[in-house]
Amino acid sequence: MASEIDLFTQYSLYMDPASKAISHPSSLPTPSQTTTMTTELDELNALHRSLLSLDPQTFPHLLCHAQITKLRDTGNAAFRKNNYDEAVKLYTYAIDMALARPGWEPVGLAREELAGLFGNRAQAHMGNQNWPEALVDAKTSIDSKPIGNVKAWWRVGKCCAEMTRYEEAKNFLVKGLEIEGGNSEGAKELGALLVDVAAALQRSS
Amino acid sequence: MVDWLSLAVPLAYLGILIGSLATFSSLYRKRKYQKAATLEPWFPAHLQRDIYFSLLHLDPSAQKEKTPAVPESVVKAALLRRAKEDIRRVLALRSQKQALSVLLQRGSVGDDLWQRFLRAEKEMEEEVKDVVAEANAYVPNWGQTIFQSANEMMNNDIYRQRVSEQQEKLAEEKEWWSKKKATTQEQFMKELNEGSEAASPSVQSPAPKSPEPASEPISESVPAAPAAAVQPSDDEAVLVEAEPSNSGTPSGGKKKKGKGKK
Repeated sequence: MASEIDLFTQYSLYMDPASKAISHPSSLPTPSQTTTMTTELDELNALHRSLLSLDPQTFPHLLCHAQITKLRDTGNAAFRKNNYDEAVKLYTYAIDMALARPGWEPVGLAREELAGLFGNRAQAHMGNQNWPEALVDAKTSIDSKPIGNVKAWWRVGKCCAEMTRYEEAKNFLVKGLEIEGGNSEGAKELGALLVDVAAALQRSS
Repeated sequence: MVDWLSLAVPLAYLGILIGSLATFSSLYRKRKYQKAATLEPWFPAHLQRDIYFSLLHLDPSAQKEKTPAVPESVVKAALLRRAKEDIRRVLALRSQKQALSVLLQRGSVGDDLWQRFLRAEKEMEEEVKDVVAEANAYVPNWGQTIFQSANEMMNNDIYRQRVSEQQEKLAEEKEWWSKKKATTQEQFMKELNEGSEAASPSVQSPAPKSPEPASEPISESVPAAPAAAVQPSDDEAVLVEAEPSNSGTPSGGKKKKGKGKK
């Protein structure tokens, strides 16, 4: 019996001579297999491209980080001028860029970066009173980084309260207080909001 | 002289006995082997691995047009993807092992499943060794770090998937909120009408609701609505008072709204 490790299915792959992109010209027996193959090869080609762009002299990850930070700062400036639409647009660019960063970079970095960006976009949406958008972004932010992200907890609570979902707001605020501890400046704000929400809950029940 | 005739009976007996035992044994082994071979593999086909080997065996001369050999960077990328899939499988095996052994002890699952699992475990062990060896062949000592990179890639993938899952909820939330807004507005209008009939001075105009998109009231609200309708606006007013404590929140617009509602 031949060793299992040496057995494999040979696919008739084709490599484009110019772009070095791998493709599979003939279709596989079932359509689902063909789509799996196509997505797999797409990902392989994307990985190959990002590997090629890796140049030890230029430090692409630092460049990328600098660009994202710049977009974020511009967004913050727009936000301060109450130009929320512009701020949302800039944050969205930054988020897209951060999401497109190559996968072998530490996931902690990506979480940190995206938590901040989503939190800021939530704030800009709140400025526009787009509560559902803000809620989704703030939730993404706390999901990315639950600890040390008191602002995002506050925003989730605030958005739920604004949409008159007091029960949900209360749950989030209690959880946020648990995680953040009760001593910091932000935690006090969480507590204040919690008191308001509890009062509203009592009145509506 | 040996009496062949009297020996024939025991000899025939022995011959039949040994022959039947041998037949049984060979048949039994063959069946067992067949069964083991037909056991369903634990994981589906390892696509990344197949692609990697297909790339290695891609023969440039076999193709019609002249194509250059596959560059090493492509093969390395394929190897990295293979390592990533391996990590996923090893982690899956590790998390399943505990539960499966408990189930096996209780007799909840058959022996077949356990055999399949053990085989998958063995295969993955070999597969990981193979990847490390291949990686070392490209760059010395890459084998020690390739799985770290692959692990990071997998974590990043999981994280990005979560983010997109979260963001997909946006449409749902939006729909919910627009419906909610419509009903709140309807209740408010109803309360307003009743208020004007009773000539109540507390409610003056529907102005505070005007910034929200005025969607048509769809359904008749329940009779208890007016009592409930007052409360959301009160709550919002309370929340607005708490708002200036947040440094970043622009409070101008919302304050106005809150005041209008009081």
